[in-house]
Amino acid sequence: MTRFSEEQLVASQNRDGGWGAQQGRASSTEITALATLALGRLDTPASRASATHGLRWLAARQHDDGGWPVSARVDDSSWATALAVLTLDVLGREPARAVRGARWLLRRTPRTLGVAISLLHRFAPSTLAVRLNPDLKGWAWTADAASFVEPTCYALLALKRVRRHLPGAAVAERIDEAERMVYDRMCRDGGWNYGNSTVLEAELWPYADVTALALLALADHPQREPNQRSLRALRGMLQHVDSGLSVAWATLCFAAYGEDVAPWRGRLVERYARTAFLGETKAVALALLALSGGAEVFRA
Amino acid sequence: MRLGRRAFLGGALAAGAASSVHGCTGAPRWERSAVRQLSRSRVAILPAGAYDGGLVEIVLRGLRLFDMPLAGKRVVLKPNFVEHDPNGVVNTHPTLVAAAIEAFRRAGARHVVVAEGPGHYRDTEHLLTATGLHAVLREHRTRYVDLNNDDARPLRVGSHYTGLGHLYLPETLLEADLLVSMPKLKTHHWAGVTLSLKNMFGCIPGAIYGWPKNVLHWAGIHESIVDINSTLPVPRFAIVDGIVGMEGNGPIQGEARQCGALVFGEDPVAVDATAARLMTIDPRKIRYLAEAGRFLGNVAEERIDQAGEPIDRLRQDFRVLPMFQALKSFA
Repeated sequence: MTRFSEEQLVASQNRDGGWGAQQGRASSTEITALATLALGRLDTPASRASATHGLRWLAARQHDDGGWPVSARVDDSSWATALAVLTLDVLGREPARAVRGARWLLRRTPRTLGVAISLLHRFAPSTLAVRLNPDLKGWAWTADAASFVEPTCYALLALKRVRRHLPGAAVAERIDEAERMVYDRMCRDGGWNYGNSTVLEAELWPYADVTALALLALADHPQREPNQRSLRALRGMLQHVDSGLSVAWATLCFAAYGEDVAPWRGRLVERYARTAFLGETKAVALALLALSGGAEVFRA
Repeated sequence: MRLGRRAFLGGALAAGAASSVHGCTGAPRWERSAVRQLSRSRVAILPAGAYDGGLVEIVLRGLRLFDMPLAGKRVVLKPNFVEHDPNGVVNTHPTLVAAAIEAFRRAGARHVVVAEGPGHYRDTEHLLTATGLHAVLREHRTRYVDLNNDDARPLRVGSHYTGLGHLYLPETLLEADLLVSMPKLKTHHWAGVTLSLKNMFGCIPGAIYGWPKNVLHWAGIHESIVDINSTLPVPRFAIVDGIVGMEGNGPIQGEARQCGALVFGEDPVAVDATAARLMTIDPRKIRYLAEAGRFLGNVAEERIDQAGEPIDRLRQDFRVLPMFQALKSFA
């Protein structure tokens, strides 16, 4: 499947050098970063050429403020900056751009829920409709929005890689607070969804893809009890979830935690043969990464 | 800018397009071009007891009650697919989506595509395959568009409840001749009810606005529903899946409630008002519906021509969360 998914990725690259969510869609930073990351680690002429083209797309789209937009059609720098930073750092290209992107991430703060909610959380938490600690800041999807799990995890993965270039205590403090925010949003029995564990006293269920991503972002604390609980939860979820996206993230996650991933790779190959992941470029890129030992790119 | 509760509940009926451009404060709340309210609207309720092969004929009957020119048109079906819960009734039933694909094709539509942009869930492959929608799409050779990741462009917002100057909307919708909202008949723990207007949240691309589309929550859910619907520049139709609805803690964790009805109409406000009445919920007390009833369509019962079954024959007393109990009073 590695060869097929590599060929599919190369073939689905847009003429501008980027990738869209599916073949023929406009290039986006998220998908271009992940496809470039997957291909850039391979050693074939086609993948190298394709990744070089992808890196050029990323370099050309970085804003003066250091961030990347979601796509060329959207003006504002965005959550996808973290993935561009990660890709540039992993591939060892354009280090100055990666650091500028990381600094944009550090300047970016989420919207807070306000003093009243903060006080209620401290003194009457049961009155809140959503159970979370409103004082913990991670990263939001957009400006003027609150912290959510997925953008926070991408930012953690990027900052943990590039913090060697960023002197001072601010990075460590931001990472620490964001990690606490992610743990705070964990579902009761382990795992994560988009970011709410309990709403109106009802427990929400976790998602396999987000759980694997969160575990990757927290992989430098493998023995912590919430990590172990969430690994168990992820294995449980994967009894019912078989999609390319979730199994690819899970394979990368289990590899990062030192587990034998041969069975998961087999499942990925089998699923690809059946559905081709419905043509989702992101799933193909992550699967390629998972099948080519790519978990190391997420190591801090 | 967020509307206060009093502003939302005040003056549910529009006196007319020209006079309603300015709210009671004098500030303009919607663009003239966003006004879609007609003097009367038509809504049809057709009985449908089960998700089976007979649905194609029922949907076709529903379409024929509205004299829509469908020949050669590009139709986008927008069902409500949120998450997969094997024991729940979260989503529009795939069998109804299949029936709608078939019915629109038989009615002459040239292209029928199914499109959705779930608000929380990014694993589209799992959502489609686990819910059975993918099998429907394959069987009917129908394209699916993930609106969360579709190419999008910004449009100036048609009304001014959120303060958002523009909204990015997916090209697939903007290129359509007809956008068919196909929500599940559900109560909703933030908005009161979720029907064809609230279903349009799924038209907002997650790649730009996130999962969830949290910036819209900050702008106000009711306000966002009105602004999204006033901005979509595409002719609309609605088919509400009320065969089995959801009551209580909707839109995800509520309980199934048999209602045995499909609700059809070209005015999504009138459709939603009628669907709310089917749930024994007063639509005039749903903030976004009351406001949409000022310029986007009709909420008032006396301005809705009812076809098919009378509401009373199929009405069910849907349970709501305690904080929405006031919606159950029609006083």
